[in-house]
Amino acid sequence: MDQEIITRYIGQPARLPRELRARIEHACSGNSIQLYALADLDHTLRLGESWLALTAAHVALARRDDGGEWRVRAIDRAQIRALQETPGLSAHTLSLLGEPGDPPLLVVRYTHRQRGAFENIRFVLDEAVNGRSVIDDLGASRRAAEPPSSRAAEQPSTRAPDAADRVYAAAVARPIRDAQALVAGGGRQSSVIFRLLRYLLPYRRELALGLAAAAVITLLSLAPPYIAGFLIDRVVRPAQDGALARGTAAHMAWIAIAGMAALYLVRQLAAHIRLRYMAVLGEYVARDLRAELYEHIQRLSLSFFSRKKTGSLITRVTADTDRLWEFIAFGVVDVSLSLVMLVGLGGVLLTLDWRLGLIMTLPVPLLCWLIYWHGESLNTSFIRAWRKWSRVTDVLSDTIPGIRVVKAFNQEQREIERFGERNEDVTEQFNEVHRKWTTFWPLLMLAVHTTTVLVWAMAVPRLLGHGAALSAGVFVSFLLYTTMFVAPIEVIGQMARTINRATSSAHRVFEVLDSEPEVRDVAEPVRLEPVQGRVSFDNVTFAYDGVRQILRGITFDVVPGELIGLVGPSGGGKSTVVNLIARFYDPTGGAVRIDGADLRHVDTGHYREQIGMVLQDPYLFHGTVLENISYAMPQAASGAVIAAAKAANAHDFICKLAQGYDTVVGERGHTLSGGERQRISIARAVLHDPRILILDEATSSVDTETERQIQEALDRLIAGRTVFAIAHRLSTLRRASRLFVIEKGRLAESGTHQQLLAVDGGIYRRLYELQLQLV
Amino acid sequence: MTTLVISESSDEAPSALSLEVDENGQLFVVENAADDPPVPVRLRQCFPWSEPHRHLSLRDASDREIALVDDPAELDDSSRAAVERALGIAGFVLEVTRVVEIDEEVEIRQWLVETASGSRSFQTHLDEWPRVLPGGELLIRDVAGDLYKLGAPQTLDRKTRDLLWAFVDL
Repeated sequence: MDQEIITRYIGQPARLPRELRARIEHACSGNSIQLYALADLDHTLRLGESWLALTAAHVALARRDDGGEWRVRAIDRAQIRALQETPGLSAHTLSLLGEPGDPPLLVVRYTHRQRGAFENIRFVLDEAVNGRSVIDDLGASRRAAEPPSSRAAEQPSTRAPDAADRVYAAAVARPIRDAQALVAGGGRQSSVIFRLLRYLLPYRRELALGLAAAAVITLLSLAPPYIAGFLIDRVVRPAQDGALARGTAAHMAWIAIAGMAALYLVRQLAAHIRLRYMAVLGEYVARDLRAELYEHIQRLSLSFFSRKKTGSLITRVTADTDRLWEFIAFGVVDVSLSLVMLVGLGGVLLTLDWRLGLIMTLPVPLLCWLIYWHGESLNTSFIRAWRKWSRVTDVLSDTIPGIRVVKAFNQEQREIERFGERNEDVTEQFNEVHRKWTTFWPLLMLAVHTTTVLVWAMAVPRLLGHGAALSAGVFVSFLLYTTMFVAPIEVIGQMARTINRATSSAHRVFEVLDSEPEVRDVAEPVRLEPVQGRVSFDNVTFAYDGVRQILRGITFDVVPGELIGLVGPSGGGKSTVVNLIARFYDPTGGAVRIDGADLRHVDTGHYREQIGMVLQDPYLFHGTVLENISYAMPQAASGAVIAAAKAANAHDFICKLAQGYDTVVGERGHTLSGGERQRISIARAVLHDPRILILDEATSSVDTETERQIQEALDRLIAGRTVFAIAHRLSTLRRASRLFVIEKGRLAESGTHQQLLAVDGGIYRRLYELQLQLV
Repeated sequence: MTTLVISESSDEAPSALSLEVDENGQLFVVENAADDPPVPVRLRQCFPWSEPHRHLSLRDASDREIALVDDPAELDDSSRAAVERALGIAGFVLEVTRVVEIDEEVEIRQWLVETASGSRSFQTHLDEWPRVLPGGELLIRDVAGDLYKLGAPQTLDRKTRDLLWAFVDL
């Protein structure tokens, strides 16, 4: 898909051209290319195409000469002493440096678009310069990150080049992939609509009934004008002329009127069936989509949620499925029947009287196009209005949450004026939208009426006996049919917009459904019953993007019941260690073992039932305190909940709440302090009784007294379990069995508090002394 | 306005700043002592849009500011030329000369433009609007983070203005 994105949107090669690849590899002593990137700026900052490629022993730069021929310059990687990336507003420069004082070995320039691909190369070279090799792990990382199907399809001889292509394409396409809702199969509008319509299959009966009813409505709508013409020509006029007996005429008229009444009755019955079945059907499809979507979202890995905004996912489950309901319930039928109606009406009018029929039908394509054009023009105005509307909401979202700052700096009047000016502006824009549509529709109707006047002008002489014969009944039928033209023209004119809106929503929904969870259970997973709590990391490497390693060869063995403190500078990899223990991600190299079993072979759901987490910012769901504590064990007895709350030092403050354990908390619920929420989350973990417990900065955002209470609760919680605790306040980890210092993705130091303090120049000792100075 | 040189010791008096640039556009601070090798620095504009040619922060490989040039005009000729060359690279953004097409797709807007550096297509989020710069020019940021600068609306051709009408106040 990434290569499709590059070809479709970016307009640069989706991969290194094969011929050039061969030339580069030839220049690099036949070594395969492991990574490459496109430098899209030349030295004069014009857009161009040069390629930087990395092999096991060389870095090569391919540039075109003045004659357009590729020139490849390869340098030995051993010559590289340092790398320097100089970021600019849009132009970045990467310099490969040799011996100090010498000119750079290579210099390339590129825009932000290429930065991900260059970052990959820079990372590998940086590691090599620092004496670390990552390229072997890199191959393993990439293969681990790929779906099993693609791994199986690879041939050994083609593996390395294909992997380089994929890493390049992923890096370049990523911003678009993250920004856009992309679906499998290239996302063509027709395929998306057909895929959406497949959701109707389980409801074939309802769909058939709804469509049949809609067809009946359309057909019956054509009958009354015909009956009206028949009455005038065959009953009223003959009776007035004396050609038909009054009694017979009255009898025929009443039969016709009764027939018309029956038609309207059946028509409305069909309308009822159509509305009922299609609305319900649409609701069923929306329900199915919502259920499938939500179930799929729950199964997706954390990496997906880091790419997509929460609000966007909520919109997909709610607003997008609602819009699809509207499309299925009404759009599909309206559009198809309007087409049928328009064709049917045209046929009837031309059959009744081809001369008058042509006057009515010839302008129809033009009218449809005018409505389409108006929709597009209005859309542009709406974009402008939407932009101005966002300027209004910007003021609100700035100043309402920041009202204390506004008041503290006495800026109320300025903010009122800012809001007023933008409010005026958006009002003016919306008024322009109103001016457009209120002008267009009367003009359109005037055009329709003009054709009606033309019909009259053409018909009257014929009704009076000049030219081709035209009966009054046929003319009346004709006029009645013309009134039915407007509605289908309007629907067809807006058809493109209706389908576009539905396709957009379908894209957003299907994008989620097409996303594969990165953490999946094997066919016959191992169930650890129960988990003993031995946690081993065996040369674990991990990279979120498959290239830049956050963990680099971490190895440790923790026995059941140990309390391990994870310390080190921010961004060192501590949270990644606990994310791997919880199996939110799988390692890209090495193995995480629980009680000796590779975590990738373990039944994830069953395993997670036996681990607990207390996070820095505890999340409480909307519900009662009781429901929040017993979230993982809804059947827990009240006594067990109270015991857990007592262990968490939470029972006392819960009892002081007006409604005790039945107090509603969480979003829109009772406001609790950070410390109170933390203690509820500890109670949740106590009740869960995990074998492995993860504490991620559990006491970092509370005051000293609250911290003491939480620490007390944690001391009770950790007894008898394997615990991994991340803390910046090193004093909270004095009781740890061992401390692991994680720095730059490596296990830099390990030992007890006293042992690590005894290390001269040690990282832990330095951090500890720094914190003592701050106290 | 003076050229301030920040040295490691704040007690040290500001000294004259001498700069040079190599053929690749790399800027160097030349230390006073003749034996000291030139220090490679990167240039950051403090106000890239409101005062792009003034208040230039010179930073070493660790991204530590080692000098702040308030006004390059106060530098000697060769240093000023070096700063201007480095500024051309650090402050480079794609200058859009003509907008050819703007299309809306699912969750992104697709732009096809002509720039002073060549033609280019890029994508923006649907809620990403061009920003009006202090000089009246327009600035667009694409999903990858690249910046595109357009002249003030009145300097653009008719078709470009028509295409931009929904996105900026012309």
